[in-house]
Amino acid sequence: MNTAIKSIVIVGGGTAGWITAGRIAAKHKSNTSAGIKVTLIESPTINIIGVGEGTWPTMRNTLMKMGISETEFMRECDATFKQGAKFAKWVDGTPNDFYYHPLMLPQGFNKVDLPPYWQKEFSHQSFSDAVCFQEQVCEHGLAPKLITTAEYASVANYAYHLNAGKFATFLQKHCVNKLGVNHILGDVIQINSAENGDIKSVTTAQQGEIFGDLFIDCTGFSSLLLGEHLAVPFVDRSDVLFIDTAIAAQVPYEQEDAPIASHTISTGQAAGWIWDIGLIHRRGTGYVYSSKHTSHDEAEQTLRDYIGPVAKDLNFRNIPIQSGHRKLFWKNNCVAVGLSAGFLEPLEASAIVLVELSAEMIAEQLPACREVMDITAKRFNETFLYRWDRIVDFLKLHYILSKRSDNSFWSDNRNPETIPESLQELMQLWRYRSPGNQDFTSNNEVFPAASYQYVLYGMGFKMDASLIAHTLDAKHLAAEQISQNAATIKKALNMLPTNRELMKKIHEFGFASV
Amino acid sequence: MSNLVALHNNAHQSLKVNTQLAEAQGGNLHMIPVVLSEFLKLAVQFPIVLTKNKDTGRFSCITLFGFQTNENLFVKNGEWDSLYIPLQIRRQPFFLGNSSEVENEFVICIDTDHKSLQSDIGEQVFDTAGKETPYLENIKSIFAELMNGEASTEHFVKTLAELNLLQPMRLEITFKNEESMRIDGLYTINEDRLKTLEIEAITKLHQQNYLSAIYTMITSVGHIYGLIERKNKQ
Repeated sequence: MNTAIKSIVIVGGGTAGWITAGRIAAKHKSNTSAGIKVTLIESPTINIIGVGEGTWPTMRNTLMKMGISETEFMRECDATFKQGAKFAKWVDGTPNDFYYHPLMLPQGFNKVDLPPYWQKEFSHQSFSDAVCFQEQVCEHGLAPKLITTAEYASVANYAYHLNAGKFATFLQKHCVNKLGVNHILGDVIQINSAENGDIKSVTTAQQGEIFGDLFIDCTGFSSLLLGEHLAVPFVDRSDVLFIDTAIAAQVPYEQEDAPIASHTISTGQAAGWIWDIGLIHRRGTGYVYSSKHTSHDEAEQTLRDYIGPVAKDLNFRNIPIQSGHRKLFWKNNCVAVGLSAGFLEPLEASAIVLVELSAEMIAEQLPACREVMDITAKRFNETFLYRWDRIVDFLKLHYILSKRSDNSFWSDNRNPETIPESLQELMQLWRYRSPGNQDFTSNNEVFPAASYQYVLYGMGFKMDASLIAHTLDAKHLAAEQISQNAATIKKALNMLPTNRELMKKIHEFGFASV
Repeated sequence: MSNLVALHNNAHQSLKVNTQLAEAQGGNLHMIPVVLSEFLKLAVQFPIVLTKNKDTGRFSCITLFGFQTNENLFVKNGEWDSLYIPLQIRRQPFFLGNSSEVENEFVICIDTDHKSLQSDIGEQVFDTAGKETPYLENIKSIFAELMNGEASTEHFVKTLAELNLLQPMRLEITFKNEESMRIDGLYTINEDRLKTLEIEAITKLHQQNYLSAIYTMITSVGHIYGLIERKNKQ
């Protein structure tokens, strides 16, 4: 007799808990009697961290899969559009130092390898601007679509900026009312083991003992089930990524209808960088820094200087950051999703996307019975260890090409001993050719080759193409792509409304579903 | 240029409207909004589809006269070559404007620069005593039908959208002269969805008299072939 997985218990009700609950409940028909039962236990006393106000374009699929209307989501979560990131002052810190990591592939990416041609003939223009129209769309504060574009469809690829607290509440409502998730308010005070080491049940102060076949740990940094109870150790990655503290502040707009940036702005500072994210009614800003390279007071002052005079009326909140992840994410019948699995600085908005990817894999590959769960667990662990490693590599890439020398934060980052070998090897290869799909062959890649190109050439990396000169026979095709991109820029600037204008229309009229 | 003024029996006592010229002004329109009450008449010759308002993204019912801006395949040499002429064409050169005296009241306005008013021939709007002529009474009834029709058509379209009964229509047309054209931005009834609609929803649509309108729209889409035919013959 197999022990079928019939009941899933999620502990923790932040973004991670509700996204995971929603994906599983939607896929496994929790609102029908034949479906799998999903219970989410949320502490009435612990506040959610509300990590990350930036998503990836994957969020559109995540919301769609849960049967959520984009209009409702955007209205209720103060969501705005995000079309990538602008990295300012990362190369040398001068005023005009910036580049973009947009959300679209370089023009003609699958037809021709543009970087060698760009470097030789078009490098008077920045790489991101020469090969992708999205940079100009962002620079002009324009939206990625029109009010006539259907829900989730796009003119330019996009993700969202959102209010994480409102997002969790919104998901909760949807999960409970539409998807059949059982919501329990209770503080977990004890975790009860079965003989084989599995979690048999959790005891809550308010609702007693709650049993389950699979437990999902969404308890945030405390990692109550996986880290604490099952004693899975934490793998510290601060040897590679030095950021260990964040100081955050919410900044009101000067006027109600002030422009809303259509991208995340990340500005390099002495000992880290400042994020700047535009929502409907306010901006979210924060300085993530290495406390080994600056003092807390200095950091707060840096953020105050960035925000300007309005900073004097704002609250500043400190959040400690531990860069790293658990050694395993799934052990026995317990899998961790969200901060309980790990955290890295929010440079490329990897937190929520890792939640989505985890929730997707759990929902899509849910083991049918306990007997096969260890196999799923092994595959899950392999997949996500690979993903965390790739994210660490990609984040580190942003630092190692900087020429900044105003603080040892930057030179320490360039120290080869702090650079993972996998990244060092790729950097060696890319001295002679551009990053391509052949460098990222796993089914579990997080960042595509194009993302590496945007950062590499945005940071001013030079390739020596002399040894592959004999292969560069697509000069005309390359030039065609560059002029095609210029034409697309013109068209897009003509046609797209400003981000603020479109937000107003979404709130007034909404998108149609087709 | 247009110059809109409220219609007045003193000021416009001698006004004459050349109705043929008035209707021919629609010769450069490739689509026009239509209302539910004229669906059956339209469906004899015109495709009835939906498009989105570019400022609001909301759907509205329209009928197609051509495939691109300024193309009206039903107007030849200044004359309509059709069995029925849509209300929005027949109301020309009159418009509805907001009353300056009573709030939420409408008054009939006229575009004094309209070409149809520039000739000495045509329909008299007022008689010699300043009384409304049957012609103007007819125009007024057109506006009444449009006013009622817009509200009910809006509700109809809203119902279709709420029931997810709409789908984008992608037209890829190759004309006789080998010229091909892709037309986006048009929507029609999603027949698959209609077939699987819950019985309660179907009953409600029937009671609202929307079910026949839905099938009229579906049938009318075939007139796109008629439009292609007209274009090929040009």
